[in-house]
Amino acid sequence: MAQRKMGKEMTVTSDGYHSKPTYVYKVVLLGSMAVGKSSLAFRYAKNSFRETMPTVGCSFFKQMIHLETANIMFEIWDTAGQEKYHSICHLYYRGARAALLVYDISRKETFNRAKLWLRELEKDFLHDEIVIILVGNKTDLATEREVTSEEGKEFARSKGLLHAETSAKSNHQVTDVFMTMPVQSQSWKKSRVDLRAPNSNQIKKCCKS
Amino acid sequence: MSLKSERRGIHVDQSELLCKKGCGYYGNPAWQGFCSKCWREEYHKARQKQIQEDWELAERLQREEEEAFASSHSTQGAQSLTFSKFEEKKTNEKTRKVTTVKKFFSASSRTGAKKVAQEKNLKQGQLGRERNADNILRDLKEIFTPSWELASPTEEIQEAKAPSPSINRQASIETDRVSKEFIEFLKTYHKPGQDIYKQCKMFLEAMHHKRELSIEEQSECAQDFYQNVAEKLQTRWKVSPERVEKAMDQIEKYIMTRLYKYVFCPETTDDEKKDLVVQRRIRALHWVTPQMLCVPVNEEIPEVSDMVVKAITDIIEMDSKRVPRDKLACITKCSKHIFNAIKITKNEPASADDFLPTLIYIVLKGNPPRLQSNIQYITRFCNPSRLMTGEDGYYFTNLCCAVAFIEKLDAQSLNLSQEDFDRYMSGQTSPKKQESENWSPDVCLGVKQMYKNLDLLSQLNERQERIVSEAKKLERDLIDWTDGITKEVQDIVEKYPLEIKPKNQALAAIDSENVENDKLPPPLQPQVYAG
Repeated sequence: MAQRKMGKEMTVTSDGYHSKPTYVYKVVLLGSMAVGKSSLAFRYAKNSFRETMPTVGCSFFKQMIHLETANIMFEIWDTAGQEKYHSICHLYYRGARAALLVYDISRKETFNRAKLWLRELEKDFLHDEIVIILVGNKTDLATEREVTSEEGKEFARSKGLLHAETSAKSNHQVTDVFMTMPVQSQSWKKSRVDLRAPNSNQIKKCCKS
Repeated sequence: MSLKSERRGIHVDQSELLCKKGCGYYGNPAWQGFCSKCWREEYHKARQKQIQEDWELAERLQREEEEAFASSHSTQGAQSLTFSKFEEKKTNEKTRKVTTVKKFFSASSRTGAKKVAQEKNLKQGQLGRERNADNILRDLKEIFTPSWELASPTEEIQEAKAPSPSINRQASIETDRVSKEFIEFLKTYHKPGQDIYKQCKMFLEAMHHKRELSIEEQSECAQDFYQNVAEKLQTRWKVSPERVEKAMDQIEKYIMTRLYKYVFCPETTDDEKKDLVVQRRIRALHWVTPQMLCVPVNEEIPEVSDMVVKAITDIIEMDSKRVPRDKLACITKCSKHIFNAIKITKNEPASADDFLPTLIYIVLKGNPPRLQSNIQYITRFCNPSRLMTGEDGYYFTNLCCAVAFIEKLDAQSLNLSQEDFDRYMSGQTSPKKQESENWSPDVCLGVKQMYKNLDLLSQLNERQERIVSEAKKLERDLIDWTDGITKEVQDIVEKYPLEIKPKNQALAAIDSENVENDKLPPPLQPQVYAG
């Protein structure tokens, strides 16, 4: 994966001198209906923290991750997978750092639909603006598999995406998928310095006006 | 006995009971012996007179005082003169008011003074009457105009756009409250607090001069301001992130309560037009049912319908808030209720696949006022980090999606054929009519149940009638059947009458033959043997 530049919409805060900065990292979950988007998020959030689940819905999650160089506040935004909402979903992408493109390995059409989602994403983002992970979910249904692992990998490679196969049901590789994103972000330290420059310019601009 | 005597005691002559004016109606001692109509006339006259009398007195006093004042203080400037006049008027008004009130309650003592008053009245002439009218008018104004109108506007420039003084008043009360809270809050920040306050003041001042700019430019100014203040707090004052967050919330609240009326749905944009378009669109889509949107909410469950009502209330309430963050809080509250409704219906936490359709349904059902304006306002003036991230941002994005969907909604997205969709849109038919529920969906459950029961009863009634008629038919059939059978039998009987034929000859012949050739031995006779 190429190194990503951090946009200014990234919230950077710093806990005094000695503690690590905290980044907000927004992830959108995309994919057809019933491929297990919510379940993935649910599984991830539940396993990381043994806290009580949100009593109401499971379409928005917040998760703090402590890395060596930074704290990362994960925000997982679930989206509606129905085809009819396809055209309006671009509203969710704003400010997202990563997208999980989820398909169901036991349903071929969800894989094809994931390809369409990708096309939508490419309209809104430059290639290095966002991490896209193609996730084949429901590996527990291996006997009913319609999309082979190779097929997924091959497509991901051709588009420069990451690929993983998971099972939210049996908790296979779920956490790994989520951790892939920040692990690649060791370069954030450097990008933090970059952040200062445009902001200090803006202060000047404001004083003039 | 006692009853009789009492009756005798209050007995009065018939003529005494009649109206004093002789109109033929009965009078009443409480109305000084007039009938109600005459009394009202008299009373009105007397009151008018009294008012004029008072006014006259006041005039005279004023004149006298003015003269005295002019002679003694001729050196003083005009200003003090007008002031004393003002003072005098005020006291006059006061006394007049008091006497008027008194007169209301001492009606009986009036008749004597009447003539004098009339004379005075004539002297007073036309001028007095006009003045009197003026005075009453002013008096009324004073009564009906809220006190704040008379008081000079303390804070901000009164705005022509504001619809009514009461709203204005409310707004300024809120603004004051918010200011006080803001100052209190900033005290906890010590030195940075002062700096923040200064910056906010400067920003508001700057915005005041930028009112002519387009809303996008104003929005940009606000966004820049947020960013700069946050930066400054972090880098220069080394405030911790949590406290920066808190401060930003307060700053937003402070400046947005002040800017609200200038930047919410401004005339320079077509926000209002868009509002109307969306509103009309939602109204045209009133026939959309939860089933068409695949909403996983069952409103038959009382708890669920309760949640739905709450969600609708919240989304409508959004319009009444002034601070973008408060508006967002309303959306979040609404969303939580939706999640609850889904959870109760489905018995599992809702996912986004369930949530968005339900939100769309809620928006359609609630038709929140000025939806576009609110969305635009939040987008323009909310702290941008709050819109792209965070829970509030998530729900806000969902609302934006819902509105976008409603704008684009077509037959396909409701799983309808184009013809059906067109027919529903034009109002020719309604899908609800086809179902048994052709009453409005917000009727309470009990009434619905009642209607259902009534329906059932009428169906039962119909069946009962049918059974009765069937029974009657059966009875008739039975009668007809017996008649028919009787007739048939008779026919047959007629066709084949019962004839008793004479004895068969052959048989007789055989018998006779037998008789003739009786060669058979005689039958055995029982014999008795002795032994």
